[in-house]
Amino acid sequence: MIELRNVRKSYRQGDREVVACDVGELLIRDGEQVALVGRSGTGKTTLMHIIAGILRPDLGEVRVRDTALQQLGEARRDRFRGQHIGMVYQTFNLLQPFTALENVLLGALFGRGAGAAAKQRATMLLDRTGLAERMHHLPNQLSVGQVQRVAICRALVNDPELILMDEPLGNQDKQTGGQVIDLLLQLAKEGGKTVVMVTHDPESAKRMQRTVDLATLRRVA
Amino acid sequence: MKLVAISLRNVRIRVVSSLLTMVAILVATGLYAAIMLMAEQTRDRYEGSLAGYRSVIGPKDASGLQLCLNTIFNVGDAPGLIKFRIYQELRAGRTLGRRAQLLYTIPQARGDGFSRFNFPVVGTTDEMFSLFQRDERPLAFAAGGPWKFTHDELVQLVTELAAHESARRTGETQVPPRPQLQDGWKQAVLGARVARQLGLGLGGEIVPSHGKPGEFGSHDHPESACRVVGVLQPTNSPIDSTIFVPLGTNLLIADHADGVFKVDPPPGKNPEDARNLPVTADDIGLTAIIAWPKDHVGPRILREELSGKPGAQAAWPGDEIPKFLRQIGNVADALVIVAWLVLLVAAVSITVAIYNTMNERRREIAIMRSLGARRSQITAIILGEAALLSCVGAVLGVAVCHLAALLMRGTVEDMTGVYLDWTAFAPRELYLVVAVTVLGAVAGLLPAVKGSMTQVADNLASNY
Repeated sequence: MIELRNVRKSYRQGDREVVACDVGELLIRDGEQVALVGRSGTGKTTLMHIIAGILRPDLGEVRVRDTALQQLGEARRDRFRGQHIGMVYQTFNLLQPFTALENVLLGALFGRGAGAAAKQRATMLLDRTGLAERMHHLPNQLSVGQVQRVAICRALVNDPELILMDEPLGNQDKQTGGQVIDLLLQLAKEGGKTVVMVTHDPESAKRMQRTVDLATLRRVA
Repeated sequence: MKLVAISLRNVRIRVVSSLLTMVAILVATGLYAAIMLMAEQTRDRYEGSLAGYRSVIGPKDASGLQLCLNTIFNVGDAPGLIKFRIYQELRAGRTLGRRAQLLYTIPQARGDGFSRFNFPVVGTTDEMFSLFQRDERPLAFAAGGPWKFTHDELVQLVTELAAHESARRTGETQVPPRPQLQDGWKQAVLGARVARQLGLGLGGEIVPSHGKPGEFGSHDHPESACRVVGVLQPTNSPIDSTIFVPLGTNLLIADHADGVFKVDPPPGKNPEDARNLPVTADDIGLTAIIAWPKDHVGPRILREELSGKPGAQAAWPGDEIPKFLRQIGNVADALVIVAWLVLLVAAVSITVAIYNTMNERRREIAIMRSLGARRSQITAIILGEAALLSCVGAVLGVAVCHLAALLMRGTVEDMTGVYLDWTAFAPRELYLVVAVTVLGAVAGLLPAVKGSMTQVADNLASNY
């Protein structure tokens, strides 16, 4: 269960305070696949970072798997994120000096540990996503679709309960990218995982079970 | 996968910067290790070389230290001559040396060298091989054996030589014949390094030369060419670099006639006048006498006894050399401070090299943080990177130091008399590597802290 109540995050820009995210209430059940949509600048990415524990809200309560993230210190939030949350970004954010397998194992290293079991799981995931022959290639030796699949494997390597995706299709070929997202959703469904996708693309949002417009979540002043 | 694998990868992908930083550490560590190696081996070598030389008797023209350095370590020219009379008195043990209970008293005369390495040619008696002892053993031979030139032969020779020289100097009509250099005395025993370096073995020939090759006035003495009859086993002391010939050969070398006598001009006369004064066997000059008092009190007694004698002193190597080494130690300490400063500069170069990459690494760090990496882990990765660079640089520095010792040991031995053992790895080198690694890690603290402070959301968002 993800539960956000009266969450607000703002930044100072000179003398002005800019509200980046303002959410009255958001509830997402375990195993649910939800798209958070909204126009550019409505705070989608900020919200995702708050759910991931990367950012701490100025106000409000954020509970993920019954853990009040806003009460945790930074190191404990990092540990929580590493163990319970998988993340997929628009630019996939693979580390260039590391091979596909190593990139997946990095997720394990900062999560539940990169031992033999993690390596076995990483290999299985890469195999499952059709990258068995490419696991020792560097990101710049892979196609965009392959890079996307590596990013998905990395998000899944710790077997997290929650997967956060930030504009996973980006500007790439919708058909190819869409197939990969479908694969992720299928894998997530098999594992009973909760998936939250942040997107401004209505087509992508349609792949999810439920769509939430951020504009409707604003607190009543 | 472990954090250190990330550190290692970071070092590898910035190969030029990493190499340059490593070279800076290598030079600094190598310098430090070399200073320590030289200082330690100089001390060991000098202390180890004292065996057999409990007392060295020589002229008062130089300090006791100079006397020891020349007699034991072949450093510098002989500081002067002492009269044969002193040697005789020590041998007789009546007026000199009785209380010190000398187990041996061996005369030495040096002045000539051999080969471009200028290995010293030392004239002495065969007691150098029968009585002289290092660690309670006489010098051992790797090949051949000693030549024969006894104390009695020496006494007879100097008596005849003095009679001839005295008659010649005073212009007597009846001049006894000058003793001839016997073929049996034209023999040499070589130290191990001399034999090795010159490729000389039994039957080989050495021709003593006066002065250093190439210098004005230097010349060979082909009439005194000596055949090699023995090669000593290595002693890891300056004996390895010495050529021993019978003292008779040294005294009878053609143009040594004037130099073998030590005649002090009477008051009011100039040194040239001394050339025409009569001489006796007592006036034969020796460069040093090696003596071995029965116990460690002996050198002090000998020093006291000779302090009242004109023209001679007893140096106590066991006292002089440690004092000298302490001075060397002070110089080494100063050099070590310089080496630490160089290390410090190298450490700063690590800080700068890594710090300068932090901006370009913000995204990479943000990605790792988003995957769950804690600030402490980011700090550990960067510290590991600095420690890796330092550790590898330090290990290579120590290795290069030993390689340099291997390549330069001959030159160093020629210059200082110290034989560098390049294979001698000391525990302190391990401590040095650890210390440099820790220093490098400390140098990585600033960039590590900067890296750990990277704002995750900002640096992930900046790529959208």
